[in-house]
Amino acid sequence: MTEFLAATVRIATPLVFTALGGILSERAGVFAVGLEGMMLAGAFAGVITAFLSGSMAAGVAASVLGGAAMAALVAVATTRFRAEQMVTGLAVNILALGLTSFLLRGLLGRGEAPTIRVSPLSPLPVPGLASVPVIGPLLFRQPVLTYLALAAAVAVFVFLMRTRSGLTLRAVGENPAAVFAGGVDPLRVRMLAVTCGGALAGVGGAVLSLQQVGTFTDAMTNGRGYLALAAIIVGRWMPFGTLLACLLFGAADALQLRVQGLRLPVSSYVIQMTPYVVSLAMLAGFGRTAQLPAAIGTAFARDRPS
Amino acid sequence: MLRMLGITKSYGAVRANRGIDLVVPPRTILGLLGENGSGKTTLMNVLFGLVSPDAGTIVFNDHPLAGHTPREALAAGIGMIHQHFMLVPAMTVTENVMLGWDAAGRWLRPAAVAERIRAASHTYGLDLEPDARVGALPLGGQQRVEIVKAILRGAELLILDEPTSSLSPPEVSGLLHVLRRLRDEGRSVIFISHKLGEVLDVCDEVVVLRDGAVAGRTRASDTDRAKLARMMVDRDVSAPVAREGGAAGAERLVVADLAANDATGVERLGGVSFSVRSGEVLAVAGVDGNGQAELVDVIAGLRRPTRGHVFVDGADVTGRGVTGRRQAGLAHVPADRHTTGLVADMTVTENLAFRDCDGPPFRRGPWLDFGAMRAAASERIARFAIRVGGPDVPARTLSGGNQQKLVLARELTRHPRVLVAAQPTRGLDPGATRFVIDEVLALRASGGAVLYVSTELEEALIVADRIAVMYRGRFAGVVRRDAVDITRLGLMMSGALTESPDAAALYGRKAP
Amino acid sequence: MTVGAPASRPRVELAAVRALAPPLLAVLLAFAVTGVLIVAAGKNPVLAYWSLAHGAFGSWDRIAVGLNRATPYALTGVGIALCFRARVINIGGEGQLALGGLAATWVALHMVPAPRPVATLFALGGGVLAGAAWAGLAAGIRLKRGVHEVLATLLLNFVGLLIVSEALQGDLGEPGAGFPQSPLLPNASWLGRLVAGTDLHVGVLIALAAVAVAHVALWRTPFGFRLRILGASAPAAAYAGISPARALVSVMLLSGGLAGLAGAIEVLGVHYRLIDGFAHGFGFNAVAIALLGGLNPLAVLPAGLFFGFLETGAVAMQRAVGVPTPLVAVIQGLTMVFVLSAMGLTAGRRRV
Repeated sequence: MTEFLAATVRIATPLVFTALGGILSERAGVFAVGLEGMMLAGAFAGVITAFLSGSMAAGVAASVLGGAAMAALVAVATTRFRAEQMVTGLAVNILALGLTSFLLRGLLGRGEAPTIRVSPLSPLPVPGLASVPVIGPLLFRQPVLTYLALAAAVAVFVFLMRTRSGLTLRAVGENPAAVFAGGVDPLRVRMLAVTCGGALAGVGGAVLSLQQVGTFTDAMTNGRGYLALAAIIVGRWMPFGTLLACLLFGAADALQLRVQGLRLPVSSYVIQMTPYVVSLAMLAGFGRTAQLPAAIGTAFARDRPS
Repeated sequence: MLRMLGITKSYGAVRANRGIDLVVPPRTILGLLGENGSGKTTLMNVLFGLVSPDAGTIVFNDHPLAGHTPREALAAGIGMIHQHFMLVPAMTVTENVMLGWDAAGRWLRPAAVAERIRAASHTYGLDLEPDARVGALPLGGQQRVEIVKAILRGAELLILDEPTSSLSPPEVSGLLHVLRRLRDEGRSVIFISHKLGEVLDVCDEVVVLRDGAVAGRTRASDTDRAKLARMMVDRDVSAPVAREGGAAGAERLVVADLAANDATGVERLGGVSFSVRSGEVLAVAGVDGNGQAELVDVIAGLRRPTRGHVFVDGADVTGRGVTGRRQAGLAHVPADRHTTGLVADMTVTENLAFRDCDGPPFRRGPWLDFGAMRAAASERIARFAIRVGGPDVPARTLSGGNQQKLVLARELTRHPRVLVAAQPTRGLDPGATRFVIDEVLALRASGGAVLYVSTELEEALIVADRIAVMYRGRFAGVVRRDAVDITRLGLMMSGALTESPDAAALYGRKAP
Repeated sequence: MTVGAPASRPRVELAAVRALAPPLLAVLLAFAVTGVLIVAAGKNPVLAYWSLAHGAFGSWDRIAVGLNRATPYALTGVGIALCFRARVINIGGEGQLALGGLAATWVALHMVPAPRPVATLFALGGGVLAGAAWAGLAAGIRLKRGVHEVLATLLLNFVGLLIVSEALQGDLGEPGAGFPQSPLLPNASWLGRLVAGTDLHVGVLIALAAVAVAHVALWRTPFGFRLRILGASAPAAAYAGISPARALVSVMLLSGGLAGLAGAIEVLGVHYRLIDGFAHGFGFNAVAIALLGGLNPLAVLPAGLFFGFLETGAVAMQRAVGVPTPLVAVIQGLTMVFVLSAMGLTAGRRRV
């Protein structure tokens, strides 16, 4: 059981960062379909930097930049050029997939994929608390990024709900014209929100590459960005709700890994479907009263207030 | 307090502002009058930094404003209350007030701000509950949220753009009261309107714009409605021309107890019954937003009624869609020609055919007959004198008047039995307005029945055989042309008078 | 973008040039940016691009492979173009294509023995139905429950792909294959070869026909006119008596069917069996192709060919110059971003 719960937390951690990043983007009115690409870029930048510099801290910092760089592309295209958000997200996912695989071979491997190994971040027990039975190993004997994921959820919540900048961000997602009339450029807010969201998604990638695997393989995020997108929907665009949704999806995945041992009547693929089916069911449940940010998906142009 | 000199701004070929001078002294309510398209809104957008002018200077409280952003305008002490409120419906009053307000601090303190809202609300009689969700407030309430936002931000000059257009009369008088309180506290107000009565009531000075230039400026106490109206339109407002009545024939459009809700489920049309006869125009007057749009949409088949029936030439079309009603002989000129009446990015040919592509002559078997479409287009361009480069240019490139001719050409060449026209002259120049009215009257003369919705009483008086006034989703009264009394109509429009019309007024008279 | 539009005045031709310019510019820009990457990798971009072209067009065999590759792209892309025309954002090509392949496999393996064209037609038909059903499901969720079709189709992609994996693990899987794939399909269900001695299959003709039909439907029929009105202005469409729900359903069924057909052709014409992950990337790339083609069926054809030959040429480029194949995804992704940006900027000034 403890092992199952530990696996749940482990699987959920990269989702949490990525989904939190997605919340920033979607609350500001930009669909976060590009999370997968931002995450992948973060995973790549993180592991390569850590490998070349030997510093894990530098690796994490690079993953922030990697995710943010991909997000900046989305930000500019969807705001300054008013590109369709969903499809731009898809494009960035394709681009990130190609770019990371290409750079891995072209820059580092002389045409072939090189083997890159860093020793994954080791657990950092919290003195005292770590020896509490069950909860101890689960919550207080985790690698540093897992603690940070929790902190990030709190930080995003406080930022969105308790600061003026967070209020502005949410308003941009609801009615950019109102923010513009208030003297703030909604496009700037969106660009910042999307870019910061990408930075968080990049850390989500770093959790995979630096904390869990210790290397980079092609397309290693394997759809987790889309899963994070589903978690945002299930969590109703709120940080803590989304955190719970990530844990739920993590549990489903952990269950799937153990499905043979447990002799469940369903196959692992059916369990893998649950996050998507649950998201669809949630969306269908909200129906027409969905709590999506009102202005999500719409472009905003100065001189043509919407 | 404010000096704007020589403001000029063009949008493409349209010269919205042509060298306008505007001076606002302290402690003054200045009325800015003008018809739609006279340049009021552009001028104010320039002042507020939403639009940058092509030429001209602005000095506010001895500080020049140039190339400024709305934020800088706000910081200087200019507050703008748009016609469409710039609020976030999903958020509370307090959140809306804190939004974009530097003094609210980096960390939000909703309780403290709520307290200030209560205080200001008390001082100015705004009656606002800080924790209410803005989307749940009536329009008047949302407007007061905008006012409290401006006040708390220290606005010394408030600009109100058409602030009364969607308010009920008690809300209007409440607003005017608030504006006087603001002036007495030492602030100035620019009150943009085209309603003469309100301007004369509340303003100290009046500036009239026409065609993007100043047509006149005066103290409110030195003028009257007729003078202002003449400045606005540059022509005498005519009384209804006598016209032969009694040509009306059989009932063509019959509406029985029609009711409808808006998208949010609020009832906007509350049970209306009337008929329009062959050779007759029934004008529906009233302040915008009193259910006229819903009435038109329900008759046209664009909105489902909650109860009631619509008959065209005796046939119940309530259950039919847009196409079925068109086939029954109903034509419709929608209020919004840019996105509804026309497809701006399609060609003139396509626009002249897009409501008729389900049968001959434009459909032949499974195909669209582009040859027939273009031939019809050329013929209609000539017949309606539409000024256009050719049948293949996008409708977007036409002037407003020619766009409306396009809509009329499509709807009228079908020889409809019933025409429903919603605000068909809105935003048109006098020549195009005349053209539209002539076409409507020509249809009347050939035996068509016309339902003509207009917010301009003057225009309703020109076209109508009978005039109905809508107020809050119902007919406040219906008056025959020969019995028109302007004062009574005005009272009905403001909700101060409701008459139960007799059957003759509601359903017209058969020709003797 | 007025290819086949009902007018031939000089002004309109000028508009066509203007409409073609953004996609071409986007492609050139993508190649330029990618060239910088090649230089960064220490290779000669001119040489790399030359070997790319050589790999794509160097022999009849290479051309045949490229055409085969472009076939599912053109089919899926043309369906998505019709959807986007009507402002129905269907990004579910991936799942619809996968299920089309699955259904074709199932039909081919389970139907009573039949001669070649019959067996092939039934298998293709199965693919069409499955793809249409999957898209129809998304349309139904949209209409009944108000879930935006973007989210519905996106989420259903993953469910669809997992259904294929599930089927290959179960009944449809080849026992002892070591990889999730179906047994080889009976020969009678294979798509015929178009040119003996090459891999070119008749699916290419099906794609050509689909593009032609879509073009005619969009520009020459009331159905297409209605889609274009709907895409240009929703209120105007309501005013014209067009039912958005009916348009949504028909256009989703159409594009789903086309994607399913593409999946079936991939299975019956290229692999002769269902392989896990065979649909990977087709659906999303098809969105790029639809956009690159300016949502014009005829222009989707060159866009699909471009993607197809790009991918087949990349293999040769890697072998000859040592520039890794993932570079293609970089070009594709960048092209997409640039086209989207150009479309966003020119929105409201385009021919609809």
